[in-house]
Amino acid sequence: MAVGPATIARAAPVVGRRASPRRILEREGAFSWIMLAPGVLFLIAFVAYPFFYGIYLSLQERQVAKAGLFVGLANFVTLFHDGVFWQVSRNTFLYTIVTTVLKLLGGLAMALVMNQTFRGRNLARAFLLLPFIVPTILSTIAWMWIFDPTFSVINWTLVHTGAISKGFSWLGNATLAMVAIIIVNTWRGIPFYGITLLAGLQTISPDLYEAAAIDGATVNQRFWHVTLPIIKPILIIVTMFSIIFTFADFQIVYALTHGGPANATQVFVTYAFDLGMSAGQLGMGAAAALTMLPALILLIIGLTFYLRRE
Amino acid sequence: MSTRREFLTVSIVGATGAVLAPRPAGAAPKSMSVVHESSFIKQFDDFFVKQLAPAYEKQTGIKINYEPVSVGSMLTRLTTIVETKSGPEITATGLNWPWLFDPSLVDVTDIATDTGKKLGGWYETVTDAVVINNKWKALPWGNIGQLEVYRTDWFKEAGVTKFPDNWEDLLTAGRLLKKAGHPFGFELGHGFGDNHGWLYPLLWSYGGREVDKDGKTVLLDSSETAAAVDFCRRFYKETMFEDVLGWTDVNNNKAFFGEQISCTNNASSILVVGKRDFPEIAKVTDHALNPNGPKGRYHMLNPQSHAILTHAQDQAAAKAFVRWLYDDKQLSAWLVAGDAYYAPFLHAYDNHPMWNPEPRYIPYKESLKTSRLPGWPGPASHAMSESVAKYVVVDMFAKACRGDSTKDVIATAVGQLKQIYKAK
Repeated sequence: MAVGPATIARAAPVVGRRASPRRILEREGAFSWIMLAPGVLFLIAFVAYPFFYGIYLSLQERQVAKAGLFVGLANFVTLFHDGVFWQVSRNTFLYTIVTTVLKLLGGLAMALVMNQTFRGRNLARAFLLLPFIVPTILSTIAWMWIFDPTFSVINWTLVHTGAISKGFSWLGNATLAMVAIIIVNTWRGIPFYGITLLAGLQTISPDLYEAAAIDGATVNQRFWHVTLPIIKPILIIVTMFSIIFTFADFQIVYALTHGGPANATQVFVTYAFDLGMSAGQLGMGAAAALTMLPALILLIIGLTFYLRRE
Repeated sequence: MSTRREFLTVSIVGATGAVLAPRPAGAAPKSMSVVHESSFIKQFDDFFVKQLAPAYEKQTGIKINYEPVSVGSMLTRLTTIVETKSGPEITATGLNWPWLFDPSLVDVTDIATDTGKKLGGWYETVTDAVVINNKWKALPWGNIGQLEVYRTDWFKEAGVTKFPDNWEDLLTAGRLLKKAGHPFGFELGHGFGDNHGWLYPLLWSYGGREVDKDGKTVLLDSSETAAAVDFCRRFYKETMFEDVLGWTDVNNNKAFFGEQISCTNNASSILVVGKRDFPEIAKVTDHALNPNGPKGRYHMLNPQSHAILTHAQDQAAAKAFVRWLYDDKQLSAWLVAGDAYYAPFLHAYDNHPMWNPEPRYIPYKESLKTSRLPGWPGPASHAMSESVAKYVVVDMFAKACRGDSTKDVIATAVGQLKQIYKAK
């Protein structure tokens, strides 16, 4: 009969022996749980508890400083009858989809370039990380100046090169305001893609490229048939994470436009914040935030299935 | 291995002991905290920290901590304090917040009554914001008004020697100034103050109202509202530029000091900053009351007040401090340090020396009588806050300015208000 290592390591309990703290700590299982406990407690306190409390709040008519009244799904029904909510939904999906595509393409290009050998490569890599390293709120304030009608360096350049006669109203025009927040999010997010994909590229053996070259594969063919299939798992995971982060993006929108003009850039999180914190409607605010959940759950399920298959 | 486990055991026992250690009960507080939004007037905060708090500690032995919160985030901080029932014992409030946090605020009617008797009585307008069910829930120290701020030199160059008294005349002046390269810049975006600060008064001055006194009947769909919206569209198109639709509260200040605009609506902080950092612009900056409309002249009520939170372990001690703070000796000196940024609601201060050094601030005092909370004449309520937070009125005007029809923008706003006020 085969004997498993666990059977050997674990002595049979002795009847009548008292379980002292020292003995409990001697057991690997117990010790492992004690070591895991801080992390688990952290997740329970700062992820699970707020999440379930959010669900609890969303089912109540709950105003700040007052006791809640259970109303079932009434908050969600109210939101679904709110024209602004649907505008917020459209904005959030547009913002997430466009920025994700741009970040994916930009990040992939960045990774491919950074994977080449050239002088100053390490310095370039360090500089390209800057958008990701600088605190979002600080970089967004810098972008506020860049988009400012009076001080905009973009407008100044376009006007002085004769490309346009009058500067754009980046944050006053509904379409351009959305373009502006997309630009800032893309600028900030590209390094995340770039560095992650670069890590993937560096795992590809040069032998594969040599073999492909000997077989007569062009640069394009090597990219499509060697590079892309190998980095595909990383690409998918990083895209999933990016979608989740972008869906829940708060700082850029809040600092740059606060959802204006006339809700043209309002997204789920900023709308939920305004409802919960500015209006004191905690239940409605929680409901608005939770409406993001179905889309994110679908993403997580997709990610889980993909990872299992791989 | 043994060392590691001993360390773990000692750590757990130590931490548990620290958490469960008994505290002395019933003892007078050694310290209390006051949370405030950082003032635009640095001396105002400094006076509290360097003069008032040490003076009170010297008298009573109670240390008063001053917790400043960045501008625009006070409501979030207060929500956190109230929901967690922990943190500072005394808080500053603005707008209709005493109504929002009513169950968590201590009744301070006794202090308000005594202070009123000693200092000439309170302005009636402020009671809308702080008196709830006949109980004072906060003690106002001053209003942060929103008035017209303009460049006197450019107005004169355009032939406008006196600030226009009504909206139509201001529009006429604005046309001239825009033509001269000095457009107006009034915020129509999602800021927290400078948008509501002129759009509600504009609506009221044309006779438009969001909701009736009963707080249930939505009144926005009216010819008066339509007149206000139509005027706003012309005012925007003929005197301003597109960026104002996306402005938040910082933008009009930047544009004013960037010499991009000749007139805006703001608190007196523009002049305060101008005197400090842009003295040449400050010399040609002045303030005026909001213009008259067909149905009167209005301003925004934003009373800055102190309230005591019910979670304070020693409410009597907190009340004693607030009573001391609102004694003329302390309050008067503090208001002087505030450089007239806060217009007090006590009649004894109508002719206070605080108004003497800078007569250009006097319109902020004059505006108190015609200042109202957003949502007026409806009572202060959660619904009122929701309407403000959703920018219902601001976006109604902003959409009209970008080109939507008057009928459509009013219909959208009415739909939102009916949902907010649960009206049929």
